[in-house]
Amino acid sequence: MSYVRGAVLFVLAMFLQWWWNSHLAYWGAAPQFLLALTVVVAARRGPVPAMLVGFVWGLFSDCLRADLFGADALLYSLAGYAAGMVRSQVDLGAPEPLAATVFLFTWAYAILLGVLGHVFMKSFVWVGWISFLTAPFMNALVAIIGAGFVAERGNA
Amino acid sequence: MQRETRIAHYVVGVLTALSLILLSLPLSSPVRAFKACASYIFDPISFEGEQGSQKLAEAPSRVRELLSADIENRRLQEQLRQTSWLKSTVDGLSLENDRLRKALGLKTPPGRHPVWAHVMERDPQHWYGSVGVDAGADKGVSLNDPVLGRKDDAVVAVGRVIEVRPMTSTVLLLTDQRSAAAAYLSSGTLEGLVQGQDAPHLRMNYLNSEAHLVDGDLVYTSPTSATFPPDVLIGRVAKIDPRDPFLAFQAVEVAPALDAAALQEVLILRARTLPGEGPLPPAPPLMDRGSLGPSPAVSSAPPPAAAAGAKRPRRTASGGVSFSTAAAAAAAQGAAPKAPSAPSPPPGDDESPEEAPQ
Repeated sequence: MSYVRGAVLFVLAMFLQWWWNSHLAYWGAAPQFLLALTVVVAARRGPVPAMLVGFVWGLFSDCLRADLFGADALLYSLAGYAAGMVRSQVDLGAPEPLAATVFLFTWAYAILLGVLGHVFMKSFVWVGWISFLTAPFMNALVAIIGAGFVAERGNA
Repeated sequence: MQRETRIAHYVVGVLTALSLILLSLPLSSPVRAFKACASYIFDPISFEGEQGSQKLAEAPSRVRELLSADIENRRLQEQLRQTSWLKSTVDGLSLENDRLRKALGLKTPPGRHPVWAHVMERDPQHWYGSVGVDAGADKGVSLNDPVLGRKDDAVVAVGRVIEVRPMTSTVLLLTDQRSAAAAYLSSGTLEGLVQGQDAPHLRMNYLNSEAHLVDGDLVYTSPTSATFPPDVLIGRVAKIDPRDPFLAFQAVEVAPALDAAALQEVLILRARTLPGEGPLPPAPPLMDRGSLGPSPAVSSAPPPAAAAGAKRPRRTASGGVSFSTAAAAAAAQGAAPKAPSAPSPPPGDDESPEEAPQ
């Protein structure tokens, strides 16, 4: 049953990311659900499941963009790996460390995405100041809510 | 823990390598094929999501349309109800118009005013006995006024008023056992007495025992009738009774022209004038009822029996007769006297409940 629930949440996260970006994103400000949830999965399940999930979610994000196919897959996988490694040093089960981790990972994601664009497309891909400044907060909030939701479902 | 970390290292290495390949060779066939596969797998999410999102976005407008349609539906239903009521009113008025138009063309006997009334009450115990009508003293109805019915374009004898209340009256039908009316047969001008049987049919007694009776003959009110105008259709001979050697007369069964059960409205020929109404023309004397026509010369010329024997022309298609024309036609023919060929009905023959044969 947990596999079914996991599959449903997996698809639901992709749907939520697409729907929010398509209908509720104003001036480029939208939470990165998939990145935040990858960190949440890493915090609860470890780096390997987080990397696999992040890779597939990254592929989904890459399918929605015209360039840099594979960039999100790489960055989400690295985010899962890094979060999985960090959780042995930091208690990511608590909301504050989780939010801080997601906050920093969001900025890291934006910078690394620009670097990947510079490497593979010869131009720095800048996410925009609005997204750069607002996305970390929204991602942190999403991570806290997502972690609480997953914990509640897990206890249930 | 060590094992998980080692696996994590392997996995991240593999995934990173794979991602870098995808990033490095975006135009190669394998990468394009992989991207196509990934798009094929993930497309339903965005496609179906867009469909669902559109439906979700349309939901408020659809709900609004549904509410508007419901309001419109209720308004139209109310309008339809009003229209139905209006239609029934118009239908009723149309019927009334038709009836009144025919009533205008009806020539009533002098001294009588027609009053139309609706049948409003029947007694199930005496279905063929009496009916209540919605015209009473307020409309000038008085006791023993003749009551006629309408069948097609002709008037038909129905009964007489036996009880008058302020706004209603009771009509004793011809089919009631207490009813009787002097009548004649259309073929042989034989006179007799039509009597009610408390049944759908009537009986006509006192016909000449030697006369040849014909099935299907029409039966009309006689000029000797004390209540009814002459030549008003009563019915049709339905059955001829076998001759009884012990009786000095014959009898036939008469089917009423108008079924009492089908009565909806009746025409009362009232004799009383209402306050503010002009005086009625003088009614002819009782013994001269056979000449209810407009000409005084005609009305006084023939004796009742002769008038009864005279031919009654200008019957309508359904057997009815316009009141004023029969006597006029009789006058035009010289009102040839005719001896009654049937035994005279007993004195005070008809319409008197006290004297009606049992």
